[in-house]
Amino acid sequence: MPSLRELESSFGRALLGAPEGALLDLIAADGLSPEARLRIYRNHVLLTLTDALIATYPVVCRLVDERFFRYAADRYIHAHPPAVPCLFEYGESFATFLAAFEPCQHLEYLPDVARLEWAINYAHHADDADAIDAAQLAEVSAERIGSVTLALHPSVSFLSSPWPVDRIWRANQPDADPDATVSLDSGGAHLEIRRVGEDVVFRSLDAATYAFRTALACGDFLEHAVAAAHSVDPDVNLAQTLQQLLADGIVISIGMP
Amino acid sequence: MLAPDDRVQAPVGVGIGLRTPHIAEILATRPAVAFLEVHPENYFGGGPAIAALERLRCDYPLSLHGVGLSLGGSDPLDTRHLARLAKLIERLDPAFVSEHLAWSVVDGAYLNHLLPLPYDQESLDTLCSRVTQTQEALGRRILIENPSLYLRFKHSPVSEPEFLSEVARRTGCGILLDVNNIHVSCSNFDQDPYAYLDAMSMDSVGEVHLAGHSMNDVDGRTILIDDHGSRVPEPVWQLYARTLERGGPRPTLVEWDTNLPDLTVLLEEASTAQRCLDAIHSRTSNAVAA
Repeated sequence: MPSLRELESSFGRALLGAPEGALLDLIAADGLSPEARLRIYRNHVLLTLTDALIATYPVVCRLVDERFFRYAADRYIHAHPPAVPCLFEYGESFATFLAAFEPCQHLEYLPDVARLEWAINYAHHADDADAIDAAQLAEVSAERIGSVTLALHPSVSFLSSPWPVDRIWRANQPDADPDATVSLDSGGAHLEIRRVGEDVVFRSLDAATYAFRTALACGDFLEHAVAAAHSVDPDVNLAQTLQQLLADGIVISIGMP
Repeated sequence: MLAPDDRVQAPVGVGIGLRTPHIAEILATRPAVAFLEVHPENYFGGGPAIAALERLRCDYPLSLHGVGLSLGGSDPLDTRHLARLAKLIERLDPAFVSEHLAWSVVDGAYLNHLLPLPYDQESLDTLCSRVTQTQEALGRRILIENPSLYLRFKHSPVSEPEFLSEVARRTGCGILLDVNNIHVSCSNFDQDPYAYLDAMSMDSVGEVHLAGHSMNDVDGRTILIDDHGSRVPEPVWQLYARTLERGGPRPTLVEWDTNLPDLTVLLEEASTAQRCLDAIHSRTSNAVAA
């Protein structure tokens, strides 16, 4: 008789496609073959995890059509089953998987569309947090201000892509004009994705603002974020860039040096 | 172990499973149901989902029905998951907290299904130790639900109701008796659901679940699948009536998760269950009066 650990381990492997082997000998038939009984579980696992991926990646699903998506999801689930029992956290590595997935490698923009959908999903479920009052930053002394760090709202993330992923995403929403087209060579995007109230929004940032905010998101000192913005655009209005950050209400704490 | 008399204080009425497409209508119309039940795993983050639940908890007792703790699992108990659950309990102050007689995680992979256990000594020891660890971490009694089963292991010397009753006796946990699951599992193994019910320790039952199932042809045999996708079928209503006769009135939940109907349909099912509860209530009070 196997231990519980051995039984569950072989059961888990069988659900993810490994041969059932000796596991079948442990299952009572009760008028139906052990293979068929195990298949009921395997189908359920695959179906519900695929549905979870479709819920997170509806635009990718639409772009490749549902049949192909289910095929890709099947391969992905077998290689990367969820690590945590919380389905909205499942599928972060799907974009990386798609980038290496031979049958859709000709769709070069697809992984970045998936990254945008993950960022939207992430923003939707991120923890709540209150923005600081802009006056709090004004209280920091001149000699210390360069060395502060600014923590951004948990829902905020950034995505830079050589493809027009924002336009591709919008053109594939249920209410979009079905005749609209997006030219793939119409330019890339520097996007900021976040939750505002109960809605997830994303927008294109200019290059300097993008450099400034992504540096802060990485935990850089304010003076380094400023230098990053300046190196992208020597004419950037730094006071305005900082003011806009505070006005957007996405700074949730100041890290003092 | 918690004291056996530390009973969950919750309304003896009929609640409904709360699903996202119904939230706006429930917030707007505040239908008369005894409680709302959700899967805590869907509320571990922030944003609109938890915000709606915080509004609803002002008007309804809540029930957190977990699916991710893998109490029958052999991987170490996920303390991060437990901590997230504890935090949610603190935030929402639910009337019930429940989980399943099942496992779902092995070798670090979450399989998103309530998977079957052999009902033997090792499973019993594993489950009891993890239920105790959970109750201590949460500082409260939890309810454990009987799963729907599509296979059973040959080395199961104990029946499921005996097994579950023993878990309740040893850990002080309560039982969440899913009447539809009894019907589904017994049908899938050609067993008598009434004999199952008779073997169950009704004193430990703190909540009852009702739902619909689908009937599927698998290799020429009818297999019932617990899909929570239709009205409660007649055999399940009959089994529910017997449950109430045996155990008296119990808080009851109508679950509906797939092929989600209009809220009114779900509320009709809840009303039917409420009439069953009322009938038992009046019979019990008549008996007391006599």
